[in-house]
Amino acid sequence: MTRNLSRRSTLALGAGLAAVSALPGAAFGQAAKRLRMTWWGGTERAKRTQDALQVYQKKNPGVQIDTETVGWGDYWTKLATQVAGGNAPDVIQMDYRYIFEYARRRSLKPLDEFMPNPLDIADFGAANIDGGRVDGKVFGVSMGVNSTCIFHNRTVLERLKINPPDLTTTWPQFAEIATAIAKAEGRRGFFGSTNAGFNEPALEVWVRQRGKALYTDEGKLAFARDDIAEWFDYWDQMRQKGGAVVGEIQALNRQTTETDMLSMGRAAITFAHSNQLVAWQAINKDKLGMTAIPGAKPGQYYKPSMLLSVSATTPQGQEAARIVNFISTDPDAGAVLGVERGVPPSKRMRDALLPKVDELGRAQIEYISAIANNVSKLPPPPPKGAGEIEQLLKRVYETVSLGTAKVPDAATTFMTEAQKALERA
Amino acid sequence: MRAASHPASDVLARRLRGLAAHGVLILCSVGMLYPVLWMVASSFKPEQLIFSDFTLWPRDFSLKAYVEGWNGLSVSFTRFFLNSALVSSLAVIGNVTACSLAAYAFARLNFRLKRLWFALMLGTLMLPYHVTLIPQYVLFLNLGWVNTFLPLVVPKFLAVDAFFIFLMVQFFRTIPRELDEAAMIDGCGPFKIYLLVILPLSKPVLATAAIFSFIWTWDDFFGPLIYLSDTVHYTVPLALRSFVDSSGRSEWGPLFAMSILSLVPVFLVFLFCQRLIIRGISTSGLRG
Amino acid sequence: MAAITAHERPAAARPRVGRFGAQDGAAYLFLAPWLAGFFLLTLGPTLGSLYLSFTHFDLLQAPRWNGLGNYIRMFTSDPRFYNALSVTFWYVGLSVPLKLVFALAIAMMLDQGLRGLSVYRALFYIPSLLGGSVAIAVLWRQIFGYNGLINEGLSVFGIDGPSWISNPQYSLVTLVVLRVWQFGSPMVIFLAGLRQIPQELYEAATIDGAGPVQRFFRITLPLLAPVVFFNLILQTIDAFKAFTPAFIVSGGTGGPVDSTLFYTLYLYQEGFAYFRMGYAAAMAWFLLTIIALFTALAFLTSRYWVYYGDEGR
Repeated sequence: MTRNLSRRSTLALGAGLAAVSALPGAAFGQAAKRLRMTWWGGTERAKRTQDALQVYQKKNPGVQIDTETVGWGDYWTKLATQVAGGNAPDVIQMDYRYIFEYARRRSLKPLDEFMPNPLDIADFGAANIDGGRVDGKVFGVSMGVNSTCIFHNRTVLERLKINPPDLTTTWPQFAEIATAIAKAEGRRGFFGSTNAGFNEPALEVWVRQRGKALYTDEGKLAFARDDIAEWFDYWDQMRQKGGAVVGEIQALNRQTTETDMLSMGRAAITFAHSNQLVAWQAINKDKLGMTAIPGAKPGQYYKPSMLLSVSATTPQGQEAARIVNFISTDPDAGAVLGVERGVPPSKRMRDALLPKVDELGRAQIEYISAIANNVSKLPPPPPKGAGEIEQLLKRVYETVSLGTAKVPDAATTFMTEAQKALERA
Repeated sequence: MRAASHPASDVLARRLRGLAAHGVLILCSVGMLYPVLWMVASSFKPEQLIFSDFTLWPRDFSLKAYVEGWNGLSVSFTRFFLNSALVSSLAVIGNVTACSLAAYAFARLNFRLKRLWFALMLGTLMLPYHVTLIPQYVLFLNLGWVNTFLPLVVPKFLAVDAFFIFLMVQFFRTIPRELDEAAMIDGCGPFKIYLLVILPLSKPVLATAAIFSFIWTWDDFFGPLIYLSDTVHYTVPLALRSFVDSSGRSEWGPLFAMSILSLVPVFLVFLFCQRLIIRGISTSGLRG
Repeated sequence: MAAITAHERPAAARPRVGRFGAQDGAAYLFLAPWLAGFFLLTLGPTLGSLYLSFTHFDLLQAPRWNGLGNYIRMFTSDPRFYNALSVTFWYVGLSVPLKLVFALAIAMMLDQGLRGLSVYRALFYIPSLLGGSVAIAVLWRQIFGYNGLINEGLSVFGIDGPSWISNPQYSLVTLVVLRVWQFGSPMVIFLAGLRQIPQELYEAATIDGAGPVQRFFRITLPLLAPVVFFNLILQTIDAFKAFTPAFIVSGGTGGPVDSTLFYTLYLYQEGFAYFRMGYAAAMAWFLLTIIALFTALAFLTSRYWVYYGDEGR
């Protein structure tokens, strides 16, 4: 309360100080309930989300939602600062990795108390609800069903007359396809596949297909040194045969769309998430196709592309939960949001949306249902320190792909350092 | 020294030297500017070609990125440019006045604890901002300044950027003391000396400080990122980043187009202010 | 030659300004805005971060006292810390002298009476206008990437260049080049300094038969010393604290294989990506100590090479 008052009076001061006023357009609006919502994303998402919130505000006079949005890289710095400063937005878009960090540090509100009214997500199905659960409580509501996948350059593969990988492709077959692509193309600096040894989601599928996981329920490492050694070796072999991008070029990848090896024209296959198809297609001239991670065994899982959470400190939990409900289940919201954040897990929203989606949207929806036999249950939540291990994997694998470390040594280094990171966190 | 006896060849030699100097400078400029030219070219290319076509001369020439970029966010870039211009201009005024006052004290006056204050002033430059960010955010939040321009502007009026103080101290100290002393004999106090002797003789450094204040405030991304949330408050760099989302779809065409446009005001400010970096009044002439 | 020494003073004794501290009132009035800023805006957050350096602070929950724990981990069991320190020292050691020499050379070239100089000046400043723009990341890949501009150039001579920016041996060098490329601000400061040098000194020296080299070492350099000193200190501080270039070019990782892991980039990762702000604060205070030592050293030696117009001798 006092904060609002003092903010308002200093705003007036600011207006006096400045020729062009620094006032938000609606600072003096009469809204009875005022909330803030934040998300990461580009301009397309910003427009769609703001439009959807307009619909909500029209339906609910007296509610005003201020929006904040920045790109992925800057989002987490700003959000952490806001939360640490005690000024968290009421509704927060969360990522599957960060939700554990935030929920366990009591920055998010458990949403169970708002279910089923106003938050009615029963039609998500258990698996999709569990994607937002941390230590038994629901802290986030999925905004899109997502899974890991590979993209391939259809134009190039058709020209080379090579059959793309599909749901039944095994890892050895995948290596053969990638090597064949590189041979057939025969161009210097062109390889079959992204060198995905650094790619943690792909590694996770690999270990899960072997009946293991990245982490145990207790937050320990759930795979052995041999698993990681074989993983490194698989990619190292493939690189030496030309099937995977050499280390020096692969290191140009910044884990962004435009630095991806497929987008840069260095490879015909890359590893990604299914909701990223739109982003990849936007900067690629060639037609892209999508299929499951190799292995032809259950190892992938459905995970939320992103989630909506409510701040633990919001004084308006009820209203915030209503907004979350609207954005994630209401067909009116769906009509505006489309599948930009992924395929909606809500059945009533998805059914209303299906007839209207474009080709790329349909491809995603079809992919999600097609991989039913390649998925298994959600893994246990990653422990604190998992983010550090993800970076560690990239760093250690780079020593292999750049040829400065041998596979067995790198595997040992990875295990030791990963243990340390878990102990530290 | 044959040239001395042949004035014509002397002129020729000088011309040649001038030509050579221009040659070197032009070569340097091209090297300097190639990346910027590439950016200009990219802003006219269709998005899918930006990362696959490296030529400087786009085959398809289109202004689409500019049109889309200008209105690409929910608020138009007109507003962002106005915001940036306001914040940057206020920063110039604040920095030049507040820092020159402090610099005058450090350069010319004797006072107790001078060395301590000077050391502390320099010390404020040495801590990475990431670790003071959260305490500072809490401070500004409690002042009610978050989501206004005040956190970006008020510090400049309180001479928080020690860079400019130190810069001005260094230049003020090159002005001969005799000038102060003459003014003192004429009955001027410290403030008059500051206003009538030091400032007029310091145009180059004041212009330099103005240029840097404007450009650095204009380019600042982190402050606006943390303290501004409403899109209507965005400054240009913050708006530019809105085109980039590394986890999904970035709009490179509009990004490059608006980046080019955002260079224009700072470039003009530079062109204008650098005229003030003139040869100072011949100080030795005043000595006598 | 005596006529051109910079520090020659008229023989008349200067009137004594008065006892040290006699101008307290006026001085503190001049300092008032800065003091207000220091005590109200700077001091609190600074001391706050010092306190945090002795705590576990995960950003989201209240800090817990940890004594010297962060400092102990830093010095005894964190190889990435030492790596970041070494990367940063290389970066400072390479980029600061190069950038200063380059900026001074160009500033002197631009201080001649050539026609069209203001155009060059503006053109040379353009790279610095780009600051830490995201476009830089793309540009640097286009230049130093696998089939970037440099390698296209080399291929003309039949040389097969490495992918400079993603090769751990050269990646740091590309960032040094980036820093030197943005030489605009020290250039402008040098230029302003050159403009303060009375032209008569050069004329007198030329009459005395001093060549360009002699004029540079006898007039330009001594009279420019305060400005050189300023640029040296500020560029050193700035390079030690450099964050944005590595963050943008390496995509925040400091890769490949930590070869561009600047000190502040690692500090940022610890603080914001791994939720260890207490450790980040400890790292920041250690960096402050290093920079302060360098600055103190520079000030100590400055009495032997920096002379000001205001010193009676």
